Amino acid sequence: MSYKISEKYNCVVIEFKGKIMGGPLAESFRDDLHKLIEAGKKEVIVDLGKVTFMNSSGLGLIIGGLTTMKNAGGDLKICQADKRIESLLMVTQLISVFDHYRTLDEAIKAYEE
Amino acid sequence: MATTDNIHTLSVDASTEHLSEVRDFVATHARTVGLSDKDISEIRLAVDEAYTNIIKHAYKNTPSRPVRIELGFTNSQLWISIMDEGEGFKPEDYKAPNISKRIKNKQRGGMGVFLIQKLMDQVQYNQKGPYNEIRMVKNL
Repeated sequence: MSYKISEKYNCVVIEFKGKIMGGPLAESFRDDLHKLIEAGKKEVIVDLGKVTFMNSSGLGLIIGGLTTMKNAGGDLKICQADKRIESLLMVTQLISVFDHYRTLDEAIKAYEE
Repeated sequence: MATTDNIHTLSVDASTEHLSEVRDFVATHARTVGLSDKDISEIRLAVDEAYTNIIKHAYKNTPSRPVRIELGFTNSQLWISIMDEGEGFKPEDYKAPNISKRIKNKQRGGMGVFLIQKLMDQVQYNQKGPYNEIRMVKNL
């Protein structure tokens, strides 16, 4: 698993790649979210387009991210989850917890509204 | 009566280093019976969760402990059995997670068993002598 952080318009885009399974990068992800909050950047989009696999630890990481951002008065939306991940979100009932968008542009637009 | 044609076996140590190997083992054999990509993806994830639970909970992250994975087919089902010699899981003590409460209270863990139950058609926990077995079934 790896991720990169960039900014597009007024949003922070965190693009994950590979297998999201928790592990050491989960710590680093939490730290990065706290740094973003300190910098006043609270509108986050997690792009799952390049994610090939996600297990319960990976789900925990994204859920933790959502909670962190919401508690700071921000939000975390997700985009580009493929059918397998979407089905995982449905099975776990998380589909109703996350704002999920088909494309990154749609997620950005949702923050503008 | 349904018959089992073939049983495939993989023995590995309980280590996250073998996660990909275990997932690929079940996916490769599941593919041979014509399961859909969605079913295969669900089986991969269920097995990942079961094996991870053995590493974390049955063996408490002690490396070099044995795990045996068996997989077979009947006319109507694919079954996967994962066995360990660690601390057994007590299904009677397990409570399905309340997702909204977990998010609100920032609770972690406990999602793996829930996922396995949702992803597979049948899940059984058995004790066979010194071995704990989780047996998971997907209907064909």
